[in-house]
Amino acid sequence: MATEGDIQAQQLDAPVSSTYPIYFHGRGGSLFGIQIVNLFLGLITIGIYSFWGRVKVRSYLASQTEFAGDRFAYHGTGKELLIGWLKALVLFGIPLFILAVLQVVVGIESGLFDLLQILIYIVVGFFIPIAMVNARRYRLSRMSWRGIRFSFRGGVGEFIAIYIKGWLLTMVSLGFYYPYWQTRRQMFMISDSYFGTQKFAFDGRGRDLIGSFILHVALSLPTFFLCWIWYWARVQRYYAEHTSFQAARFRSTVSGGGVFALWFGNGILFVLTLGLGWSWIVVRNMRYYASHLTMVGALDVAGIKQEAQTATAIGEGLSGFLDLDFDLG
Amino acid sequence: MQLQWFGYYYDGQSANRRSARIYLEAGNLRIDLDGGAILNWPYAEIRQTQGAYAGEQVRLEHGSEPAQVLLIDDDRFLASFHELLPNRAAAFHNPAKRLQRIQLTIIAGCASIALLLGTYFWGIPTLATIAAPWVPVSWEEKLGESMLDQVAPAEQRCSDPTRLAKIQELVNAMLATQGESKYRFKIHVVNQPVFNALAAPGGHIVIFRGLLERTENAEELAGVLSHEVQHILKRHVTRSLLEYASTSFLVAAVIGDVSGMVSFGVEAAQMLAQMRFSRQHELEADEAGLKMLLAAQIDPAGMIAFFEAVRKEQGRMPSALSFISTHPQTEVRIARLKSLIAASRASSQKLLPDYSWNDIKKICPALENTTKQ
Repeated sequence: MATEGDIQAQQLDAPVSSTYPIYFHGRGGSLFGIQIVNLFLGLITIGIYSFWGRVKVRSYLASQTEFAGDRFAYHGTGKELLIGWLKALVLFGIPLFILAVLQVVVGIESGLFDLLQILIYIVVGFFIPIAMVNARRYRLSRMSWRGIRFSFRGGVGEFIAIYIKGWLLTMVSLGFYYPYWQTRRQMFMISDSYFGTQKFAFDGRGRDLIGSFILHVALSLPTFFLCWIWYWARVQRYYAEHTSFQAARFRSTVSGGGVFALWFGNGILFVLTLGLGWSWIVVRNMRYYASHLTMVGALDVAGIKQEAQTATAIGEGLSGFLDLDFDLG
Repeated sequence: MQLQWFGYYYDGQSANRRSARIYLEAGNLRIDLDGGAILNWPYAEIRQTQGAYAGEQVRLEHGSEPAQVLLIDDDRFLASFHELLPNRAAAFHNPAKRLQRIQLTIIAGCASIALLLGTYFWGIPTLATIAAPWVPVSWEEKLGESMLDQVAPAEQRCSDPTRLAKIQELVNAMLATQGESKYRFKIHVVNQPVFNALAAPGGHIVIFRGLLERTENAEELAGVLSHEVQHILKRHVTRSLLEYASTSFLVAAVIGDVSGMVSFGVEAAQMLAQMRFSRQHELEADEAGLKMLLAAQIDPAGMIAFFEAVRKEQGRMPSALSFISTHPQTEVRIARLKSLIAASRASSQKLLPDYSWNDIKKICPALENTTKQ
């Protein structure tokens, strides 16, 4: 049963310049069904099932996303997430808890209290970049397309330096260094990402965004900070345009207005359904981002070989404790 | 009955896609790749990882990671597989059973709602009540002391020993009916015009001057004290902490890892839950306090009179708003107490018969002329 997707796939095997759209086929109803079963099993196992439930959701979202005629696949397991969570608990959760308890014991008046607070900031400050790198490495290693795994090979040490240096400069510059910091982080995340044996490339520069950033700072108060939605869309478009794979580039057509309408609609949906509409919100988002992202150029993937890398899920566990949210893009 | 299917094959070593013809044989899947190679995959070794939803292509994997992949775009494949080889196909998704899956999901949803409601209305309060006695008294006392420092700072306490002793007499009269208690009850009077009294875990009872001045006789204060004493004996503060922790767990279980937008609703849900539990505690303290008064032969009319004074003071709260209140509506409390009194037949003796009640109101030094003692 040949479909439009099949015809696209045929073209991929010869390096002809083309436009490759991304489709998201998922439906809110199906995701809702998964979430309900996750809720039920999570309740009767007092939360232990939640790791397996999370895998079910990720698998569904990945397998409903299609690029050039083939869908993605997610290969993580609940057991990996559980072990990652336990490791994060031991390495991070418990030490942080001990510091917090010590704070209560010494009391707010004591000089030690402030010292402990600084320690807590330092610990959290180090763990955020560690979590980000580790989680990216894990998630990419568990994603595949056409049977070939993605991977991330950036070093944690390098990212800690980028992250903390950039954070300090942003503080010192009263925030104006932010576009440079953000772009530097994006460069790190993209340029060490691989599909099989082939690397991605990123050529974005912070200086291309600083003008827009300053404009939006100026517009913040008059627009009650809503202008930052437009800045976010601008950044997405810029980063996509400057991300390439072989001779092809990504292209994003998200717009501030489109994103605003999307998020506003999500908010209304959420309130009207008292939160039950969450699955439909996720699907709305996926559909929007997929329909506004394409790859343009000559792709020759037939020659790309498997080069799977190992990865553990500590970053996933850490990100849970730190309440961080990750995207793969 | 179609036995031959068309699909695509990935060998897991490169991203090169190859066309394949697939045959359903007795014990294995036979895959004829274009280019000539033939593969045989025993059914027991095949995993299906995609294709459980209508219109979705079927994805079969074979071998250890990185696995080989077979994609079949036609989901009539699964239907044929089940029809032809029902035993072999058992591990694979059956499209004919999709309706059944939906029904099971609906049942799971209803069961989840029932579980959640049951835990909220019954499970959590019961758990808190069972667990509270295991909390050591010394912990409750420490908690109470820190609460005390907050609401009754030392410099604001009225420490007239004779008058404090009179109030202590009232408490002792009540406690005599309760048997041994591991709590050491202490009365504190705070020099503020606040119309309130409260109990801190471990046995501390705080009465504000404002409330004391509004009592007409010893029986009215006894009504208030009985309520506060029962808060301590029933460990309501400790139970509140346990209930709050349990509710957090429950909410976390429901929400899972859905973050962001939801956290605000989560806070609100927790607060509403806590307020409801707190209303339960207040009603429990009312009822148990009244029973204690009756057992100690103290006239309960004082308790009722006091609540009537509170009601006049408060004005009306619309009953629609009662779900956000930490206390039940005063009319409701008065009605419950009256029906409890009507059902009992206790006699009473006058409290502190030789003492003029107005004297107790002098327990706090007047704030303007503290120099003139």
